Amino acid sequence: MASTLVSKTAVPGCAQQQSAASSRVTRVLDLFDRHFRLITIAPAALLILSLTVAPAIELVRMAGAKIAFTNDGVERTAALAENIDRLANDWIYWRALLNTLVFVITSTLAELVLGLVLALAAQRMTRAKGIVRTLMLIPILIPPVAIGNMWRLMYNPEFGIIAYLVDQVAGVRLDMLGSTSTALLAVIIVDVWHWTPFMFLILLAGLEGLPEEVMQASHLDGANSLQRLRFIVLPMLWPAIAVAFVFRSIGAFKVFDQIYLLTSGGPGVSTEVLSLYVFKVFFQNNELGYGALLSLVTIAIVCSYLAVFRIAQRRKGAL
Amino acid sequence: MTILTRLLGSSALLASAVLATQALPAEPITILINTSPWYGGFEALVEKYEADTGNKVSIDAVPLGGLLEKARNAVRGPSGNYDIVNLSNAWVVEFYAGNYLTPLTDIDPTFSFGDNIIDADGLLYWNKDKQWPMKHGGVPMAFSPNANTHLWYYRTDQIEKPPETWDDVLKTCRSKGGEVDYSVVLRGARGNPIRFAFSTYMLSFGGSIEKDAPNGDFTVTFNSPEVKHALELYIKLAKECGPPNPGSIDQGEMIQYLVSGKAKQAGIVVAAQAQMDDPEKSAVVGKISYTVTPRPADGANRDVWGSWQMGIPANVPAERKRAAMEFIKYFQSDDAQTYYAEAGGIPVSRTVLEGPLSEQEKFRWMRPYSQASRYAKQLLQYQEGAEIEQIIGLRLNQALIGELSVDDALNTAATEIHDVFVRTGRRTGLLPPLQ
Repeated sequence: MASTLVSKTAVPGCAQQQSAASSRVTRVLDLFDRHFRLITIAPAALLILSLTVAPAIELVRMAGAKIAFTNDGVERTAALAENIDRLANDWIYWRALLNTLVFVITSTLAELVLGLVLALAAQRMTRAKGIVRTLMLIPILIPPVAIGNMWRLMYNPEFGIIAYLVDQVAGVRLDMLGSTSTALLAVIIVDVWHWTPFMFLILLAGLEGLPEEVMQASHLDGANSLQRLRFIVLPMLWPAIAVAFVFRSIGAFKVFDQIYLLTSGGPGVSTEVLSLYVFKVFFQNNELGYGALLSLVTIAIVCSYLAVFRIAQRRKGAL
Repeated sequence: MTILTRLLGSSALLASAVLATQALPAEPITILINTSPWYGGFEALVEKYEADTGNKVSIDAVPLGGLLEKARNAVRGPSGNYDIVNLSNAWVVEFYAGNYLTPLTDIDPTFSFGDNIIDADGLLYWNKDKQWPMKHGGVPMAFSPNANTHLWYYRTDQIEKPPETWDDVLKTCRSKGGEVDYSVVLRGARGNPIRFAFSTYMLSFGGSIEKDAPNGDFTVTFNSPEVKHALELYIKLAKECGPPNPGSIDQGEMIQYLVSGKAKQAGIVVAAQAQMDDPEKSAVVGKISYTVTPRPADGANRDVWGSWQMGIPANVPAERKRAAMEFIKYFQSDDAQTYYAEAGGIPVSRTVLEGPLSEQEKFRWMRPYSQASRYAKQLLQYQEGAEIEQIIGLRLNQALIGELSVDDALNTAATEIHDVFVRTGRRTGLLPPLQ
């Protein structure tokens, strides 16, 4: 009886509660509808952030410290000012930056030009285009370690095929890796050999995607081959060129294995590049704090380079 | 039962228990090692150890380039995969000072190295108080599978008697002719290659990098007149007697020059000797002999160690440490050392290096190696060692390729080394610059 009474007296409050609950559900559903995209993308975004931002934060923390490992744990002592001062006076790092910029710009431009020429030639082929495309893939498929050893042998001034051929033609024993004036050129040549096919493949795909009608119209308007290339093909191919250039620039900034195997940065510092120098500081000298600072500065330099390229690209788009 | 019977019975039980324990195979162990030219000998020795003892050993053999990081990762965690790690002399202090390795006497308090075992200038020991690798006051930390110092390789069909002094070497250089292109090949590539090779010359002229590092005096002496004389000789030999562009020549190229018959002589580490008599690799089989690295006319023979050390990580269970210890004890026995040498390894037992094996033509490198092992030194055995090696390796290379004069190279290197010591808080100083 008592329970019935209680039940009866509770009815109006229950209705209010039900109504409040229902409005809450509606609000949540509304919220879900309004932020559907954000909510569904959040897990992936969080995962990516944790995999990129967390290591970056750790790198920043390391950059301001001197770090020593012992069996009792990791010892960190604050050393940001010391590390920055050291970087400012670290002439090898700045020389490595200069070498890297020369390497990136020269090799990427050479690969772009060669890749474009080859792609234009391949586009005109009516037969065996597939075979050419497959053959062009070979240098990309060879591991950089094998490439380093292969070219080191080819460049060898006593036993190498390149030195032999130059000797036969010019009567000079050429030691490209042993001379400070030619060592950087020698590693650029290897990079161009390795990565021109990458440019070729991207640009060939771009060329094959160009609308046939525009080409035919330019034909009918009497444009010659050079004019078609200058005024039709290159402007329309620009997005593919930009993508290929950016990808290769990033790859060239990271060059390590080829130079490590071919010259280890020598003779002198003529082929020292950023990745190689950061590796030496991090892993050979075991200076994790200073190595982290060098890594951060290197990341900033690569981002600046790409930002400059992006701005230039936008301006070109505006033109 | 009488007391005597009971005693006898108990003793018999105890004895059988001990025998049973001894007969049990030790825990399987895993060794991290580099695939250097002497690796074949080590692999053969491990097979013999397994056959002799019934114990199991797994080997993780990696190229030299990947060894350090693998070893660091293995010892830094709470538990390690490797029961023995092989470490270069350039890295070993980091592992000793960081307490990453177990002193061998902590595992077996009765253990000691035999007097006949090469200890590579004390690098097998760690003096915790001085934080320095030295036998005096130190505890045994590792065993060397190859102590590795230089030998002077020379062509017996081109050079009548082994060169004793640098003047003898220069004489052979000036008497050019015949089918051999170069008289001497020197290691000139930047970094460790030139630093390591030049150290022998520097020591033979009485030069040094720092004054008395084991006793805390890090005054930089790298721009002394002695080091200058050594570098002048090094450049002279490279320029007058060797191939062009010596600044890119590393050990691989030096071996190539010798085995292809293009060079008369070179100072290379002992581990390369096996390639000289290999008919599949060498055009000069039986024509190369060995002596100790020459000395100045008024100086003494000196050399530098590039040794390897096998240590037992602190983060492996006690049973596996004991099993690793069994292997190390086996390795230093004369029988194992003899077998190791016959299989292509470089033994560290002087009993073997100076014993009957050394009389054989195949092992003609043993006696000069044993001789060099008595005076060879360790260098750069402190935490800044790797960074200083980079400095010296660059400046010497620049002097060799003509980018810097000898004086400038040594003065610059000395100043940079001094800066490093100042930064790390060492008691240091500088000599007046060379002029």
